[in-house]
Amino acid sequence: MGNCLQTSTSDDINLLRDSESSNTRDTSPEQLDPPPPYQEAVRPTVPVYHTAPNVTRPATQLTEEEQVRIAQRIGLIQHLPTGIYDGSKKNRECVICMYEFQYGDTVRFLPCMHTYHTHCIDDWLMRSFTCPSCMEPVDAALLTTYETN
Amino acid sequence: MTEAQSALLLRKQLAELKKNPSEGFSAGLIDDNDIYKWEVLIIGPPDTLYEGGFFKAHLYFPREYPLRPPKLKFISDIWHPNIEKNGDVCISILHEPGDDKYGYEKASERWLPIHTVETIMISVISMLADPNDESPANVDSAKEWREDYNGEFKRKVQMSVRKSQEEAWD
Ligand SMILES: [Zn+2]
Ligand SMILES: [Zn+2]
Repeated sequence: MGNCLQTSTSDDINLLRDSESSNTRDTSPEQLDPPPPYQEAVRPTVPVYHTAPNVTRPATQLTEEEQVRIAQRIGLIQHLPTGIYDGSKKNRECVICMYEFQYGDTVRFLPCMHTYHTHCIDDWLMRSFTCPSCMEPVDAALLTTYETN
Repeated sequence: MTEAQSALLLRKQLAELKKNPSEGFSAGLIDDNDIYKWEVLIIGPPDTLYEGGFFKAHLYFPREYPLRPPKLKFISDIWHPNIEKNGDVCISILHEPGDDKYGYEKASERWLPIHTVETIMISVISMLADPNDESPANVDSAKEWREDYNGEFKRKVQMSVRKSQEEAWD
């Protein structure tokens, strides 16, 4: 419930903080996660990164680790299936924007079978790789899917 | 989430709360022209020391809501282990999202984009009823809560309840 004394340390690894909360930007590199072993293969070439529709941060202001993690995250999100809402009864509302799906909306399906508007869930997944409805970590579920295939 | 979308989502919640008011709190805007700043009146939960109080608090939503959490600040004086002396509320569901690789907080305890004014208020009301003294925001209050619950802690809470009642009828 509380945990306020912990946030100052746990939050500054969040690589998607925007300008409003950029007081933690000058985090020393040691506090960031170590780069994953396959870092070289996925080094992004994109010069500008849009953390959100209204937040753009030049790649020069991101550390290499951040760039790699962003590229990996984008790659993982792209792996999640999308579709066009067909009026199925199971998922009627996108719980992020609280609007009912309309025929023709682009939706994304998470491994836990929860469905959201693609533009609603993608922004969230860049911040936290968990399903907002069931809190299932998406990457764990993805790995399981890969293993069973 | 664009600014228009966050405003739309907040307007929708405001309309729903006006139509179906929740037990335990009432909500409105501080200024009718600013959908991002809300004023809530929290009714002290029954069978707690806060019973009978009407505590005013403000919610400040970022333009990126619901991807990012609002900040919550009590305007009324309130004595509670998880509320700073300046009124700032420290509960984990209002903490920025992120993948906490160090595992201090489960993602489920942090901010989620499905939280609404109503679910936030439910958490706050349960925090009033059941403080968490492991990571207090008001250390003095937490100490009294642990060591002198029926003495100094109770006295200060009752003072804030009385004061909130006087202010509510102003
Ligand atoms: Zn949506
Ligand atoms: Zn889910």
